[in-house]
Order: sequence, then C-alpha cells, then structure tokens
Amino acid sequence: MPEQQVILSIDEEGKITAKTHGFKGEACLDAVEELFDQELNIISVKKTDEYFQKNEEVQNRQVYAKRGDQ
Amino acid sequence: MSAVIKTTTPFTLELALFNALQVLGSDPIRVGADNLKEYHQRGQLIVGDILTNRCDYNGKQHFRCIEGLWVLRHDSDELNARVFTAAKTSRQYNKVGAFLQELEGEYARQYEFHLEQLAVQEKQRLEAERKARVEVTRQSAITQAKAKGYVVQEKHLNGKIQLVCTRSV
Repeated sequence: MPEQQVILSIDEEGKITAKTHGFKGEACLDAVEELFDQELNIISVKKTDEYFQKNEEVQNRQVYAKRGDQ
Repeated sequence: MSAVIKTTTPFTLELALFNALQVLGSDPIRVGADNLKEYHQRGQLIVGDILTNRCDYNGKQHFRCIEGLWVLRHDSDELNARVFTAAKTSRQYNKVGAFLQELEGEYARQYEFHLEQLAVQEKQRLEAERKARVEVTRQSAITQAKAKGYVVQEKHLNGKIQLVCTRSV
C-alpha cells in the first residue's frame, strides 16, 4: 500500500523545514500547509529531480518555510 | 542680585529613589493608608510620601511626588536637624544640599540598574514567547497530522523537533 510521508523539522526559532514523499503534483504543498493553523511564509520550494520526471506519479518536494508571526 | 542655582537630576522613578535612600541609610518608609496616622508632622503627610530618618523642626524630612517629580520637603533653616533612627547609627546629619548631591549619585546608579533589569526581563519575556511559539507550532502540527490520518513519530535532533508523519493511501 503506497505511503505518504511528511517530515517536519522545527528549529529553536520556530522555523520549519518540510520534506514530503508520496504525493502527486501540488498536493505535497497543500499537505504541509494543512498541518498548521497559521499561514506560512514560504521562502523557497525546492523541487526534487523526481518532480520533473514525466508520467511519474510520485513527486517529491522540499518546502522550506518559516513561521510568519514575528 | 544674581544667583546660580543648581538642582539635582529630577527624581522621577520612585523605585530608584527608594532604593537609593536605602543604600544611603536613610531608612525610607512609604506612607500608606495603614500607617499614615503613625507619624506626626507639621504640615500633613499624604499617602504616597516617602519618609526618611532625617528630622528637623517640621518633623521627618520626606519626599513627595509633585507632578511626576519627587521633591524633598524639609525645614529650610534645618533647625534642630538630626538623623533619627531606631537602630543606633554612626551616620551624621549632613545638610540638605550635600544629602541631595549624594542621593543624586546613588539615584543615577539605581536608575541604571533598573534599566538593566528591564532589559533582562524583556529578554526573558521574548525568550519565553519564542519557546511558547515553537510549542504551539509543534502541538498544532501533531494535532492536525493525526486528524488527517497520519501516524506521528517525534524525535529531537540537535535542538530541533522532527515530526515524521506517515499515512497509507
């Protein structure tokens, strides 16, 4: 059975780094955002090589974000 | 006739003034509703005054806050002036001018100390806020992830919180 995984890393300042596996297309970004009550200030989205492969159902993206309430 | 008149730095911060009086051995006492009747004074004391152990014809010299500034109220002739304290002290009465000058120096030290304390307290407050914010983020992520059907594993790595959220689809 396919798995979806979100690995969140929250540093001492509250900055979040998220890495997703097993999501299709833009769903990975939504999957990260829906884990937080607040809007995120995303400063970069790094797409992995897999993201660009045609007919690839599983796409990986890394999302770097920081909390936006400073 | 001309004159050169010097004043002290305005005493604006009650805490700094009170602490300075303590350091100088003036045994400051705050006059409140509870102890107002204990002290006899020519001219009325009011709640909020700060008594010292310096006495003169009018009674205990004291500070009163007038329009935000603490002013020493005393007998201008310094008749029968003395230091009065319950505890025996070797401290001698010195004239109002000299006393205020000495107090001004200590007040300035206490004022600086107060500012440093505020900085420390502000730093602690910000630090506590930061920790609370991280905790809210962690809790939110765990709660939302579980609600979305993820199994959450938590690890602590190099001061960072790692949440591994996995679900089958």
